Amino acid sequence: MKLTALRLHNVRRFAGRGVAIENIREGVNVLCAVNEFGKSTCFDSLHALFFQPHTGTPSAVQALRPYSGGNPLIEADVVTANGQFRLAKQFYGGRRASVTDLASGRLVAQADEAERFIADLVHGGAGGPAGLLWVRQGVTGVERRSRGEEEGEKRARESVLSSVQGEVEALTGGRRMADVIATCEEELSRFVTPTGRPKAGGPYALALDERDRLTEEARRLEGDVDNLHDALEERRKARARLAEIEKPEEEAARRRAAEAAQKAFEAAKAHGEALQLAEAEAKLVRTRYETARTTLENYRALLARGAQLRERHARALAARDDALDRQRRAIAEGETALNAIEAAEADERETRELFLRLERAMRARDAAARLSNLKEGLEKAEDARNEIEAAEAALRARALPEEALQALERAEMEIAALRAAETAQAPTLRIDYDAGVAGAIAIDGAPLADGEERALAGVTTLRISGVGALTITAKRSIGEDKFSALEKKRRTLLEKLGVESLAQARQSDAQAKAKKSELELARQRFLLLAPKGVEALRDEIARAENQEAEDLELKGDPIDARRAHEAAEQNLTQRRNDARAIRPAREQADQALVEAEKALSAVASEVEGVEAQLGPEADRASRDAALAQEMAQAQAPLVDAEAKLAALRLIAPDLDNAQATLARTRSAMEAASKEAARLREQLADLNGRIRTRSDDAIEEQWREAVEAREAAEANVARFKREAALLTRLRDALNTARSAARDHYFEPVMRELRPLLGLLFEEATVVFDDQSLLPQSVQRNGQVEEIERLSGGMREQLAVLTRLAFAKLLARDGRPAPVILDDALVYSDDDRIEKMFDALHRQSRDQQIIVFSCRQRAFAQLGGNILQMTDWTPQA
Amino acid sequence: MHGMFRFLHSSDLHIGKRFGNLPEDLRGRLREARHTALDRLAERARAHGAATLLLAGDTFDTETPTPAILRQALAAMASHDALRWIILPGNHDSLVADELWDEARRALPANVTLAIEATPIVLEAGVVLLPAPCTTRRPGRDLTEWMDQAATTEGDLRIGLAHGAIQSFSEDNGACDVIAPDRAERAGLDYLALGDWHGQLRVGEKTWYSGAPEPDRFKHGKPGQALIVSIGGRGATPEVQPIETGAFDWKTLALDFLGEEDAPALLQALLPPPVRRRQTLLHIVASGRLKIAPRAALAAAVKAVEPDFAHAALDEEALATVCESADLDLIDRSGALRQAADALLAESVDASLPLGEREIARDALARLFAFCEATPQS
Repeated sequence: MKLTALRLHNVRRFAGRGVAIENIREGVNVLCAVNEFGKSTCFDSLHALFFQPHTGTPSAVQALRPYSGGNPLIEADVVTANGQFRLAKQFYGGRRASVTDLASGRLVAQADEAERFIADLVHGGAGGPAGLLWVRQGVTGVERRSRGEEEGEKRARESVLSSVQGEVEALTGGRRMADVIATCEEELSRFVTPTGRPKAGGPYALALDERDRLTEEARRLEGDVDNLHDALEERRKARARLAEIEKPEEEAARRRAAEAAQKAFEAAKAHGEALQLAEAEAKLVRTRYETARTTLENYRALLARGAQLRERHARALAARDDALDRQRRAIAEGETALNAIEAAEADERETRELFLRLERAMRARDAAARLSNLKEGLEKAEDARNEIEAAEAALRARALPEEALQALERAEMEIAALRAAETAQAPTLRIDYDAGVAGAIAIDGAPLADGEERALAGVTTLRISGVGALTITAKRSIGEDKFSALEKKRRTLLEKLGVESLAQARQSDAQAKAKKSELELARQRFLLLAPKGVEALRDEIARAENQEAEDLELKGDPIDARRAHEAAEQNLTQRRNDARAIRPAREQADQALVEAEKALSAVASEVEGVEAQLGPEADRASRDAALAQEMAQAQAPLVDAEAKLAALRLIAPDLDNAQATLARTRSAMEAASKEAARLREQLADLNGRIRTRSDDAIEEQWREAVEAREAAEANVARFKREAALLTRLRDALNTARSAARDHYFEPVMRELRPLLGLLFEEATVVFDDQSLLPQSVQRNGQVEEIERLSGGMREQLAVLTRLAFAKLLARDGRPAPVILDDALVYSDDDRIEKMFDALHRQSRDQQIIVFSCRQRAFAQLGGNILQMTDWTPQA
Repeated sequence: MHGMFRFLHSSDLHIGKRFGNLPEDLRGRLREARHTALDRLAERARAHGAATLLLAGDTFDTETPTPAILRQALAAMASHDALRWIILPGNHDSLVADELWDEARRALPANVTLAIEATPIVLEAGVVLLPAPCTTRRPGRDLTEWMDQAATTEGDLRIGLAHGAIQSFSEDNGACDVIAPDRAERAGLDYLALGDWHGQLRVGEKTWYSGAPEPDRFKHGKPGQALIVSIGGRGATPEVQPIETGAFDWKTLALDFLGEEDAPALLQALLPPPVRRRQTLLHIVASGRLKIAPRAALAAAVKAVEPDFAHAALDEEALATVCESADLDLIDRSGALRQAADALLAESVDASLPLGEREIARDALARLFAFCEATPQS
């Protein structure tokens, strides 16, 4: 189908008038006009003609009506395979629709038939041409539009694809596939959530819950059943035990055993008492016997002791006498020795005194000689001292302070220097006498010699004989003050030194130095004579004078005297040693005597004690006999008692054993009755427990629960498997369908690919099999949803897609116009030019009608330029 | 004895059994059927002129049945007061269950005898019963041994009553306490009435397992049965007549397919008559190989008849699916559905995949088939 003309009247701004666009041709047709010129009105009108039933007034139709009202009329001429037709629709008042065969002018269809005719054109009904492909201003073809519009376009696309690829249904399984998938999803959704988990409240989840519940229930019941069986087992045991305990013969045996044990115990107790008595008796008898025996033994021992002591007494007496004798001898020896010592001592004293006196006399002689020496030395020392004192006095008189002498020398030198300087500056005077008058001039009384040069200083008076006195006053060049100050200083120094002049001072100093060395010599001499001073010397002399008292006349050889004394001393020492040597013998003798006396007195007192105990000698034998008799008498009853005791002991039963047996048998009886009572109690408890449990039929419940759990387990497995198989099925179906879709869209992709290549490199498009429009674009490996693309790209894609579909239609022999209403508002110029290329590329066997307000941009498009002309509908 | 001695031999009533693995509403009916088995046994005994019923163990399902179960069972026995009931403790209700037997003794009706001791019981003049009650769940020895030495009057009938396995095929596996299979001969018994095996079984001409009067599992595949035993005299071969006593049938239908059978038709042919179905628990075990369509048809057929039955379940574990392209045509001849089916089929026979995944793929394919059946191709 191709459009050749469009006319409208009473549409929007064309109230009360009409416009027409004639001469629409094959290829690209462009209606380029500024906004508000009415091109969108043309587009909308054309759209309404094809898609809005003339009877209705939906918003799309209302939008066509001018503000002033009126009945929009739209007319279009089309060329189809069946011929040329004029389609006309009027809305609102006088609404109508008609199709006229242009060749014959025959009215082909009216009203609903006309609508069907138009619909067939659009939707490509059985055998008819396919619909139009529209892209509206700012509408990129992927946004939501009114359902009818959308459906219409979709069906148009579908018809294209179906015609080239077969029915989409046949490929994708269509409705049937959708139903199967829906059924599968529905079934699956009963069991699992979309993420594959058991769905809460679904049979799978319920089966799982049931399984868990039953597992828990079975576990709990199993516990109860075990408990019950334990109770039954316990009860069986308790009953068996009770029966055993309560068996009459057992009871009788226990009682018998207890009685026998009681008897045995009593017998043992009685025997024990008899034994105790016998033991006491035997003990008494034994004590008596032992006493008698001890008494006898003691007496005899005492007798023996008495004899022994007497003998010892005699020995002690003898020993004491011996000791006395030894002591007497020792005393005699001691006295002899003492006498010898006294004689030796006297001798020694004598020799010593003689020797000492000789020594003293010799020392006195030595001392007298020394005293005379000392006195001589003292005199010399005193002389020396006097000498020193005199020298010191002389030195003091002559000695000049060193610095004063030097100061004086300096002052002299300064004065001399000053004087020399003055003399150098002073005028000089010389007379060269004329002959004859030599010596006529005298200065200060002395004649001035011929040719003598004299310096003048101060006032000089020249007596010139025969002339008079010439006074020359030489002014001092150096200040009088300084000179007189120096003079004064020298005078002071001279005064201080007590000399007339420097020369005198120097002489005096030299004398002082000579004196000083004299003095030094004197001092050394003195020191030699009296190193500690004269006083010390005098003291020494005084001490020596005092010692002179001894007899100086005693004569004798002191060496002989000392030897005699040493011999006497030696003798004395010998005597004393002799005395010391015999002293221990004396001490020993004394000691031995004391010991002997002590031993004697001890034995004596003991003898006395024993004798007292033994009594008179005469009674002793009879006493011994009496005691022996007593012991023999005590022995007989002892033998009897012990024999009796041994007999009793031999047959004594073990009381502890008897008592233990008694306790055991008694406790066995008590334990039996206690245990019986306890068992009865336990049985009562167990009975209660068992009855409660078996009344609840827990064993049956348990088996039931176990079986039910198995069934639930099977159920779970079944549901799990069911979910798995449904999931598998769903995945298989989706995979197959999506593969089929790709296959289905292959033809349109084939058409689209070169067009896409014009604008985008390496881009592929995925189609949505519901809308049959691009769903996403894949570029550089990135998948982008159409909604996320830029406006420009979207509109370009929309146009290209339609061009691709149009191409498909054309190939199928059902060409259809592509109508673009400012479809490229977002695209930049560069893209627009590429789009123009695409349009022209497609336009070879394709009608493309472009409405645009972008005159300048679209000037490049070329193609058939459409014009709007006024049009008045035929009456 | 006066001529012929005739009695009813039954065992394993398992009164009180709960059937927790079956649907709730069915459980009550099954329990009730176990109780009313007593009435049915009594009725059959009367009908066959037997005045004595020997219950060879496991009369009760647990050692601790509720008082209601016990009392009501005893009351049911008492109500048939012309009959004499002999109850032997089995392994489920062994003598360890002293509460049970104490309580039974306390409430014992005059026409009920508890064979709880291994001592001869004179059933009537000239007929002596030698019972071997189970002392515990697993006694660990042959309890019938004492019968060899049990003295009876010359010429009296000796009838043994015991519970347990004669081989290691006990109902409660793991039997080391096996009854000598030739006990009847060894102990000179005229008949040995055995319990424990829930299916009826002839061990020898004088030794029988009666089987349970009311089945409780699919294992044996037979209806509930008991035995009417008639003994002409000492040493005579007993005449043993099986009789049906079950209220419910536990039926296992084994269907073995080769590929293309009309599975629903085969199933239909094997189903019990509708009137029995309410009392039938059906366990259909499909095995072999089956094409996808008949397989789906079988599942659908089972689903369709399921409400007729007390219980019906299809076990397809052992059934392999055969798939050919013609089968897949039933899903779709081409297009995405067919592709999905092809993919699942390939996966189901891909030996490199784990068995579990193969099975899931196989089931998914079967399910796809079922879904597609519900949405026919246009």
